[in-house]
Amino acid sequence: MFRFFSKWIQYALVSGLIMVAGCTEPVDPGDDPIDVVTPVTGTLEIEFRVPGSWLPPSRVVRADLSIATSAENLYKGHFYQVANVYNSKLVYQFDIPPGNYYYQAGIVCLAEGDSCSAANYPGGRYGMKWAIGTATVLEDQTIHVVPQFTN
Amino acid sequence: MVEVFNVRKLGCIGLLVVLLFAGLQSCSTEFDVTADNLDVPIVYCLLNTSDSVQYVRLQKTYLIEEAALEYPPEPDSMVFPGEIQITMERLQNGIVMETYRFQPDSNIPKDSGFFPTEKHIVYKTNAKVEANSIYRLYIYLGSKEKVVYAQTTSLGKLTVVDPMQLPLRKISLYEGNNYTCRWLPVEDAGLYQVVIRFHYSETRDGITTSHYIDWPQGFSTPGSSRDYLSKDISGIRFMNVLKENLAVDPGVTRTVDGIDFHVLSGAIELKYYIESTSPTEGALMEKPVYTNVTNGMGIFSTISQVDVTGLFLSAVTVDSIAYSRFTRNLGFLDHTGDRDSTNELADF
Repeated sequence: MFRFFSKWIQYALVSGLIMVAGCTEPVDPGDDPIDVVTPVTGTLEIEFRVPGSWLPPSRVVRADLSIATSAENLYKGHFYQVANVYNSKLVYQFDIPPGNYYYQAGIVCLAEGDSCSAANYPGGRYGMKWAIGTATVLEDQTIHVVPQFTN
Repeated sequence: MVEVFNVRKLGCIGLLVVLLFAGLQSCSTEFDVTADNLDVPIVYCLLNTSDSVQYVRLQKTYLIEEAALEYPPEPDSMVFPGEIQITMERLQNGIVMETYRFQPDSNIPKDSGFFPTEKHIVYKTNAKVEANSIYRLYIYLGSKEKVVYAQTTSLGKLTVVDPMQLPLRKISLYEGNNYTCRWLPVEDAGLYQVVIRFHYSETRDGITTSHYIDWPQGFSTPGSSRDYLSKDISGIRFMNVLKENLAVDPGVTRTVDGIDFHVLSGAIELKYYIESTSPTEGALMEKPVYTNVTNGMGIFSTISQVDVTGLFLSAVTVDSIAYSRFTRNLGFLDHTGDRDSTNELADF
């Protein structure tokens, strides 16, 4: 009887050893194998002021704010980004890779009659004025520019 | 004694026979599982303050023996026979200022679908809805000798701030760039909705046809803002909507034509109705459907709508539609009018 139990204990010990040996340390699966690279960006902040004139404020509104990577692209209309402009929004931000950018800001005259022509908007009603400039965006920095309209 | 016993015995047997006969007669394998159809009038009328023609849709409940979701009803079973008179009154300070009579109109095309369009008559009247007025709708059903009644207060003027009706101001709507639509709160409005309509053209074998996709946004509630109400239109969702709604077809060339914004406000009754018919969450699985129609079901309410149409999408948006990861297979031309991959920007 005792021999039967001792054999049973031996089997149990051997089985236990095998099971323990079979247990390896859990392997850390690690992060996602795809490397997620956070793009390096800076911020171009454009304070888009509509210049005052003798025209009523609601008759001259923002029409366009676009940026391009070169002057040629700007003139050809190959913009890098185009902002949605609003009457109620003054400051517009572009989060873009560092580099040199060209921007254009356009305002349009909505007054009727010859008011727009008198205020030097070419073509009268729906005539536009443009302010074009350049800005250098640096990594993790905010560059603030204010387009300047002439005349 | 024997006679009395026999009489009693015969009486009992007779009673048993009568009961057995009655029991057999009452056994029937056919059950009437449906109640009688009450012919409840169903009325839909949304007065549009931006339109000069108003419509009423009048139908009734119907009953069929078959599975209701598998067998459409007979056209006759959805409309009331006999005389129908529909009138509407406008009240100002409790005095009836104007009365309008609706006339049946079967010329309006209806979408195909489960329900038959035959005999689907819509009633219309020429009426410019005045803001902040009380309107009462009366429907007389001759066959039922019944009057259906409803009342609503029309909404005030809806003013959209953004977008302006200014085609020079291009709309940018692409991945990473959203558009914010703004409007002024409307008195007594219960909800708002913005619907985007994207216009495009398809050219196949030299033949160009115009098309559009409607993209309704979720409902907005008035909230606590007294200045502006707004709705953000997602640029990345816009690209996904194009991908989901347009088929990849190598034989077709597509061009972007423009975009419209339709901003709607609805009265409080419409809000209640939409909430009562929306999917239920929580323990109360079956909600009663809201109605403000007396002697019937349905809704009589007002909406106000502003359409800002003929706007253009920015060159970057057009290029995004042509080359973005979502839409590059849809055959759209870029802003220069070609499919030159050198125009593809790294960001797309």
